[in-house]
Amino acid sequence: MPMFRFDPYSPLVDADPFPAYKTLRDEHPCFWSEEAGMWILSRYHDIVAAGNDWQTYSSARGNLMTELPGRAGATLGTTDPPRHDRLRGLIQQAFMKRNIESMGDNIRDIARQAAAELKGRKQIEFISDFSSKFTVRVLFAVLGLPMGDEQTVRDKAVLMVQSDPKTRAKGPEHIAAYNWMQDYAAKVIAERRANPTGDMISQFSLAEIDGDKLDEREVLLTTTTLIMAGIESLGGFMSMFALNMVDFTDARRQCVANPALLADAMEESLRYNTSAQRFRRSLQRDVELHGQTMKAGDFVCLAYGAGNRDERQFADPDKYDITRKPRGHLGFGGGVHACLGMAIARLAVRVAFDEFHQVMPEYLRVQEKLDWMPSSTFRSPLKLELSIK
Amino acid sequence: MPQITYIEASGQSTTVNVPEGWSLMQGATANGVEGILGECGGSCACATCHCYVDEPWLAKLSAPTEGELEMLENTASERKANSRLACQIKATAALDGMVVHLPESQE
Repeated sequence: MPMFRFDPYSPLVDADPFPAYKTLRDEHPCFWSEEAGMWILSRYHDIVAAGNDWQTYSSARGNLMTELPGRAGATLGTTDPPRHDRLRGLIQQAFMKRNIESMGDNIRDIARQAAAELKGRKQIEFISDFSSKFTVRVLFAVLGLPMGDEQTVRDKAVLMVQSDPKTRAKGPEHIAAYNWMQDYAAKVIAERRANPTGDMISQFSLAEIDGDKLDEREVLLTTTTLIMAGIESLGGFMSMFALNMVDFTDARRQCVANPALLADAMEESLRYNTSAQRFRRSLQRDVELHGQTMKAGDFVCLAYGAGNRDERQFADPDKYDITRKPRGHLGFGGGVHACLGMAIARLAVRVAFDEFHQVMPEYLRVQEKLDWMPSSTFRSPLKLELSIK
Repeated sequence: MPQITYIEASGQSTTVNVPEGWSLMQGATANGVEGILGECGGSCACATCHCYVDEPWLAKLSAPTEGELEMLENTASERKANSRLACQIKATAALDGMVVHLPESQE
């Protein structure tokens, strides 16, 4: 029998990581991936425990599987407590559920407009025709950015999270996109500081508690990350949710008949195939786990997408079941580093699909085989063509 | 592993072995305790893991942070003197046997 391997840079893993995840959980729960140069944790219990133990599993050397230069230590996701908690305290307010509900009407208008543009079409490409327009407009509205270069911003955000499957690293085009985004973020910050509004960037670039504030590099890279997440992560998840809605016809019909079910369906999609598949930590000390010794300094991948399919935690995990209510799922990570934007994401996706379904209640998948984004961290299709009944 | 007992507003009681270092919110959501939602994943950004800590255990807990106190202002059910967020209480050996009551509603 050939030796088991797990290569998060492989196009096969981009397309379908779940069979490999099962082997990892069952046979190699603490696995050294030579291709990734890191350990892979795949069981729900181990991932939650590692996420809780930030003293051992540090984020300070980066949290993306393939980290971008200069980012480690300069964003919330790449800082450990207690500093992380103080910085997050500065900016969390703006992202809380109760503070974003006021954006609901605005987000609904954007969704309605984006959906209206699809009326009469027989076939659409969900990502370019709907979700990317929606996410960019929502981000620009939330941050108060001037429209005009939104297509470029979107393209760069999508490119910067990708990696080269051959070199197993960021390629020059990915680094260039990241640098472009930093320059763009710098302009936005300068503009917000000159003319502060109630938007998030004004808030956290100016916020200060007990003498603590984000330094310039933190403001810049946090803004860069926020734009990346607001466009790429939100868009990536929307395309995964659309994929589930088109593949699981009964679930979609239930959601169309009763849009209140969209919230439950979305949580199940976050469990079933979250777009944020894998993040990483680095070890601050040696750790013995499942008969392996991981050494201080080693990188460790927390495979959220694998933990979400762990039968030790979720019964019948490969079944998509919108009645499941999968509490404690890892679709937004968890613990101190749980996704900052989750309340906005939940609101935006629910409203977007409610409006999308008003225009397109019935749709079918056109491509039998999908092309997937090359990324060691995130997973979503590059195109999702839908034909309208 | 410390044993934690969660008593729902309905009176339904569930005792769970919560691994040390896990929060009481994680212990609940991973074990089907209905009365804890943990919507924000444990980042202290909502108040859907509100619980009432039984008196003898209250003194064993570290004081709530400013962030937790702020979130406790937004509980769906009545905030009481023994109100805490379960995501901010980490299971330790010293909490073995702890009992928390859950509110009527979390959202």
